[in-house]
Amino acid sequence: MNQTQLIKLAESWFEGQGWKPFAFQKKTWKGYFKGKNGLLNAPTGSGKTYALWIPIVLEYIKNNPDYKTKHKPGLKAIWITPLRALSVEIEQAASRFAEEMGTQLTVGIRTGDTSMKDRAAQRKTMPDLLITTPESLQLLLASKDYDKTFKNLNAIVIDEWHELLGTKRGVQVELALSRLKTVSKKLRIWGISATIGNLQEAREVLLGPGSEAYQNSELIRADLKKKITVRSIIPEKMEKFPWRGHLGMHLIDEVVPIIRNSKSTLIFTNTRSQCELWFQKLMQKYPEFAGEVAMHHGSMAKETRLWVEQAIRNESLKATVCTSSLDLGVDFAPVETIIQIGGPKGVARFIQRAGRSGHQPGKESIIYFLPTHAIELIEASALQKAVRETVVEDRIPYLLSFDVLVQYLTTLAVSNGFFPKDIYPEIKSTFCFQGITDEQWKWLLNFITKGSQSLQAYDEYKKVEIEEDGLFKVNDRGVAMRHRLQIGTIVSDAMLSVKYMSGGYIGTIEEWFISKLTPGDAFTFAGRNLELARIKGMQVLVRPSKKKNSKVPSWLGGRMGFSAQMSELLREEMYAAQESAKAGGSKSLELSALQPIFERQQRESIIPGKDEFLIETFKTREGYHAIFYPFEGRLVHEALSSLLAYRISLLSPISFTLAFNDYGFELLSDQEIDMQQVLDNDLFSAAYLMNDLNNSLNSTEMARRKFRDIAVIAGMVFTGFPNKLIKSKHLQANSQLLFSVFRDYEPENLLFLQAFRETFEHQLEEGRLRLALERISNQNIIWKACEKPTPFAFPIITDRLREKLSSEKLEDRIKRMLLQWEK
Amino acid sequence: MIETIEIFGEHFSMHPSGAMFWEEKQMLLVSDVHLGKISHFRKYGSAVPQNAIAQNFERLTAVVEHFQPSRICFLGDLFHSSLNLEWDLFENWMQDISAQVMLVIGNHDIISELKYEALRIIIFSELVLGKFLLTHHPEEREEFYNICGHLHPGYKLNGVGRQQLKLRCFYKSEDQMILPAFGEFTGNFWIRPNVGDQVFVITKKEVILVH
Repeated sequence: MNQTQLIKLAESWFEGQGWKPFAFQKKTWKGYFKGKNGLLNAPTGSGKTYALWIPIVLEYIKNNPDYKTKHKPGLKAIWITPLRALSVEIEQAASRFAEEMGTQLTVGIRTGDTSMKDRAAQRKTMPDLLITTPESLQLLLASKDYDKTFKNLNAIVIDEWHELLGTKRGVQVELALSRLKTVSKKLRIWGISATIGNLQEAREVLLGPGSEAYQNSELIRADLKKKITVRSIIPEKMEKFPWRGHLGMHLIDEVVPIIRNSKSTLIFTNTRSQCELWFQKLMQKYPEFAGEVAMHHGSMAKETRLWVEQAIRNESLKATVCTSSLDLGVDFAPVETIIQIGGPKGVARFIQRAGRSGHQPGKESIIYFLPTHAIELIEASALQKAVRETVVEDRIPYLLSFDVLVQYLTTLAVSNGFFPKDIYPEIKSTFCFQGITDEQWKWLLNFITKGSQSLQAYDEYKKVEIEEDGLFKVNDRGVAMRHRLQIGTIVSDAMLSVKYMSGGYIGTIEEWFISKLTPGDAFTFAGRNLELARIKGMQVLVRPSKKKNSKVPSWLGGRMGFSAQMSELLREEMYAAQESAKAGGSKSLELSALQPIFERQQRESIIPGKDEFLIETFKTREGYHAIFYPFEGRLVHEALSSLLAYRISLLSPISFTLAFNDYGFELLSDQEIDMQQVLDNDLFSAAYLMNDLNNSLNSTEMARRKFRDIAVIAGMVFTGFPNKLIKSKHLQANSQLLFSVFRDYEPENLLFLQAFRETFEHQLEEGRLRLALERISNQNIIWKACEKPTPFAFPIITDRLREKLSSEKLEDRIKRMLLQWEK
Repeated sequence: MIETIEIFGEHFSMHPSGAMFWEEKQMLLVSDVHLGKISHFRKYGSAVPQNAIAQNFERLTAVVEHFQPSRICFLGDLFHSSLNLEWDLFENWMQDISAQVMLVIGNHDIISELKYEALRIIIFSELVLGKFLLTHHPEEREEFYNICGHLHPGYKLNGVGRQQLKLRCFYKSEDQMILPAFGEFTGNFWIRPNVGDQVFVITKKEVILVH
């Protein structure tokens, strides 16, 4: 069969389904037939699965004319998905086409959810198409003779590449691909990505900069224009609107009519705790929704999640309260309406969520934005503009993630072992490690074999051994087992599984939340009220509770910052608000709703204009507050606050706690800050920026937090594994402790230094910081000494998550704290 | 800077290292050193800095030189886990010690008693000295004052402006004194003292009463 005939075959199958292939699908088929690699830019729910699965099957048909009667077993294609939840959907779509074309191709799933029995069966005979996650792919590389498994692999598809790109799981994928390119001779690599700012770069990261694979690749854009309408949910009386808070519960009554008027609604919340609370409140206040409203988040049991997803498809649910767990994949045709509670923090995410509704061709997507506090209305207004102008963010890929590389090298040593001279060029060919130096490489090899850079007496370090022929190999079964268990934990905190005393798995929960409870305490989880009975190993045993007051678990990682693009839009809206407040009339609905709050802000302080930089100071019971308003987004404020605190602390010994949100930041101290001195000393200068930042980082917790993940990924902290009881008590240490030991005894360690570098590159975004400082240097600084917290200040000073910075001697601090108590 | 207190008429000096000296008995009390922990981690593939190993011994030597005790009593968890090469370092360290060394066994002390006896270390499950009961786990026994470890007490000190300091501490109540963990690479348990309890935090230089 030639190419035209093959495409005809696919087209007639499409016709049979009552569909017509999109132009981008056909373009991808043709690209694939030409032997190209590539990146397909297509949104969720657009038929992207068929864009790549079809040519894989068709090529098999072409190469095996007796495909209907004979079947050659063995792995032919891999489909990588970032979320386990998506694998079922892909499996169904893929099997359907393979079957209806009359092939005998098999499709299988291998993720953390796959049973031991299925894994063993797969080890014997791999399915033709394997759907898996980046972690499970690493695990395959950790099994003996993996090279034989992958020998006849023709294609690997990385789905939702934009989600992986700016993460360490993305680095895992880069490394795995660098190996597969050698092992699988005929490999074609394709990525699928939603629209992001740096698509070209995404392709380069996927295929390797300047590589052969990259030279022979194309970027295909689906270009499916979709109309998105954004509507803000605004209360009738603004007085009711809280100045702070992040739940948005006060507007619950406004949400109900939207749910009633729509066939099916998805309600997106930003955190799992918010999701739990919204679901609970809806059920309490509107019991008639029972059975029609469900909840979905990543910590719930897989069965429950799958049930909810199926129910959405069947149109048996009126509404689903969810988190980012429903951001990706899964096509929900019946969904008509989306509600976003609280700021989505990024335009790309907002557009993606909006796209979850109105799947029928030509239908517009409607997304309601529900602000959780008054100032967030400005955000609503900015989002409308962002959607109109399709402003989207970049995803910044990681560079030189030595922790992931340590993990990967150990993986190769666990399975077949490796020779550095073979692996080094592969690693250097990836985007992440293109800049690795020979010294760094040598350091890493020493690290995994000796646990240090020089051999010392009395050392029994054991991990990777160098055999006589120079092969790097793990021979200790315990090391191998712990390493395999550790691979899956790249993203999560120590997780415990939650189970009923009487049996029945409910979901997983982070250890630090449970550690705050004592037996008998009630908490809400997966929509149920539960009472903690006891903790046994890695299991939390619970029974149903009737207590009214229960704690709601909060999950870490719920706090994201505004992107640069979003911050800019926000500032524009802010300035527009200032203009209109002056003029007395408003342009947008949101801004006119905000008028009373603006008036109050104007009365007590000012609303800063384009060329003004506002600083407010006031005193409360808590101490002396200084609030700065750069409107640059949370991440930049985190850096700026620690920079400024550091510089002020050089003037005289002082201790601060720092708070920040997307609008500004606060320095809080028990001593009054001499603001005039701050202004006179030009403390916002961009001079010595790196130096000062580095020093301020040493005194704050940011790098310490980054180190947590690094230590886990590099296998220095053994976290154990949910559902598995492992005797590892003598191996438990928290990463905080480890951080201190490294700081005091081995500060030149590459993994320790990586924590600081990551803080610069991914947390602080140095480039943005410089631009912000430049902007501030061109603004007039307006310092307002206020009587009490202003409407703008309120959401910041009530934030509980704080950084600390001090230039006082420890002993002096203790003594002064004691004095204050006595007062 | 050392802080001295009186309990049942006897005098105890708390040292910033976390050790405590009993004047009348000329006895140095040290709890939860967790020797061998770093080597244990390294043996199992976790590359904790080796240089930290020496620090434990250096600090032990420093505090012994300061008080010149005639007896040293370890209140449990002297060794973190099974035997490893750090034991050899401990043997070396013992060679320069002229004081009588005692060990009250803790939950981590799983190394054979014979190994300790070979070093002339006397092993106890608990030690009663007059009105004082020395144990590893905190215990309540009528008529006795309990000196113990195990808990790794630490204290969070809160101040104006939402400031917080986390420090290791001596935790003293009416009938009990819990020593901080002496070891370098050990964690803390954050205590919440009751009314009447005393908390002495330790910095590298000082011992300060904060509660």
